[in-house]
Amino acid sequence: MSTEAVLVALLAAAILSATPLMLAAVGEAVSEHSGLLNLGIEGTMLIAAFVAFRIALATGSGPLGLAGGAAAGALIGVGFGFLATVGKADQVVLGLGLTLAGAGGSAFMFRETWGSEQPLLSHGLGRPLDGLLDWLPVVGPALGQQSWFVYIAWLVPLGVHLFLRHTLPGLRIRAAGDAPLGLESVGGNLVRTRIMAATIGGTCSGLAGATLVVVELGFFTPGVTAGAGFLAVALAMLGRLAPIRVAILTLGFGVLTGLDTGLQIASVDVRSEFLRMVPYVGIVLALVCFGRGVRLPRALGQPYRGITSRQ
Amino acid sequence: VSEYAFAPAGAGTRRHPWLVAIWPLCESLLAVLIAILAGGVILAATGHDPAVAYRELLQRTLGRPAGLQEVVVRATPLLLAGLAVLLAARAGLWNIGIDGQVLVGALAAGVVGHALDGTNRGVLWLGACGAALVAGALWALVPAMLRVRWGINEIVTTIMFNYVALSLTAWLVKGRFRDESLVTPQTPLIPRELRLATLGDTRVHVGLVVALAVWLALAFWLRQSTSGFELRAVGENPRAARHAMIPVLMVLFVALVVSGALAGLAGANDVLSTKGTFQAEWNPEYGLSAFALVFLARRNVLALVPAALFLGMLSYGADVMPRAAGVPSAFFTLFEGILLIVLAVFRWQPWNRGGQAT
Repeated sequence: MSTEAVLVALLAAAILSATPLMLAAVGEAVSEHSGLLNLGIEGTMLIAAFVAFRIALATGSGPLGLAGGAAAGALIGVGFGFLATVGKADQVVLGLGLTLAGAGGSAFMFRETWGSEQPLLSHGLGRPLDGLLDWLPVVGPALGQQSWFVYIAWLVPLGVHLFLRHTLPGLRIRAAGDAPLGLESVGGNLVRTRIMAATIGGTCSGLAGATLVVVELGFFTPGVTAGAGFLAVALAMLGRLAPIRVAILTLGFGVLTGLDTGLQIASVDVRSEFLRMVPYVGIVLALVCFGRGVRLPRALGQPYRGITSRQ
Repeated sequence: VSEYAFAPAGAGTRRHPWLVAIWPLCESLLAVLIAILAGGVILAATGHDPAVAYRELLQRTLGRPAGLQEVVVRATPLLLAGLAVLLAARAGLWNIGIDGQVLVGALAAGVVGHALDGTNRGVLWLGACGAALVAGALWALVPAMLRVRWGINEIVTTIMFNYVALSLTAWLVKGRFRDESLVTPQTPLIPRELRLATLGDTRVHVGLVVALAVWLALAFWLRQSTSGFELRAVGENPRAARHAMIPVLMVLFVALVVSGALAGLAGANDVLSTKGTFQAEWNPEYGLSAFALVFLARRNVLALVPAALFLGMLSYGADVMPRAAGVPSAFFTLFEGILLIVLAVFRWQPWNRGGQAT
């Protein structure tokens, strides 16, 4: 293979593998804007991935699988939002419980449904731009060979940015995280706003899990997300909850992860375990450099206590 | 931090003292009951007989001596990991990096244990455990420093350090510390006669004694000492603690580092007893179970032991139930997850508006 072909393959893989991570991180950002720290992204992604895989396998339709995964994520998001506001649950404990239940539940259902078999999805999604961007060196073919859903997915951060910055519900979500009492004192409903944010976040993470299985891999195994949900939390925090910044960071992270494969192809003698540490160390270093004194929503992680319930 | 965090616990409520005392126990039992019922519904919905499955679980774990011993063996590292989570939690910290600290502790114990092979048992145990304590503490050191120096959230950094530990230990064990005579990448095996001695004729080993000693010491320290009181004060109300001239940042730093050391000890327990070696990609994932354990014990140190036994039972059940009753082992992860979710919600007391249970 020529150098250019290798670079194209690496970049294409980086874009593809960054897509689910980006969706989850943007969803987490919305949830955190409203003051809900959701550590259950990993569990949400796993359950949504299972649901999406099952639907896609049964119907033979990728889009239906994606929709099913998003719906599962939305339902879990509603549940998380409800328990964290009305239920006054501790968000961290609730999130970790959701991660455990999601990992266990999806693995359990997988074993119950298929035992030790490993079914595969036969059809991929369409690639509308394949070959159309080849006039651009390296970047063109890498972008052009993606399936249509990847392009839509990368529009999500833009949409979320516009939603948070330029609409009334978006303003309410930001107020719910920064000044919950202020939101209530001007007549906003804190509980409803936070549940809405958690639902949007859940939908994004559900879509992320579905994308991972339906678009990227084509199969499901227990624990298929391999920590992507927790990475999403870190990336959302690193991007200071700004959707577009989060998306760009995720893409950079994807390229960094692809380094592993890249150096192996280039037959540089570095152990792959060593390279696998690089992205995570990178996140910690980036947090040290840019994460100092980051202004996160003031009420982030605080259990809900509105005006009505104060003594 | 917003003012919302500082409503006094149980403000504006009147409850009988005995109700306050036994309430956490009722909550834990109710949570277990709800998880059992929810698990039963899930089992029934997937074509299992819940009654048969649960009876089989009880018989295989608690109903025979061998099962009971294995439950205690499983509960030992869980108790140590739970102590690590609890210590951090009482200081108001979330140590989600237990998994990584266990791994580096286990690797350190494996390497030092092999290096001291040929000395006597006591030296080997002390050396390996000391190395594991130091390794676990070092692994928590960076997140602790970042937290107190720059206020970087320890949740994210400890989670990232889990992944770093997984790759780092695999890298070291495939390279520098590998036993070349074996096919699988692992540290040299510690001979059986040098591992932790078993108690009598059982599978239970000295690790249990160590874990119980640490447990008692921690319980005594948290309740009776000034520094233990300072730690609890920082966890419950950092602003008040600062006004009381408690060195809040120092307390947070020490709490997280000691928490890491305890998690490292949990790793040493496994390497020095049942495993005898550290294998690449081995990851017992005690972290989230330890959270289920601590919140099942309602953050009470004394309640950790019965809670650890319960989770030890689930851990052993996950190994025997696939063959005994055809229930996939993932069911028990799901069970722990449901339990943790229910326990998270138990701060909600509809009859006690504005109050807080924990």
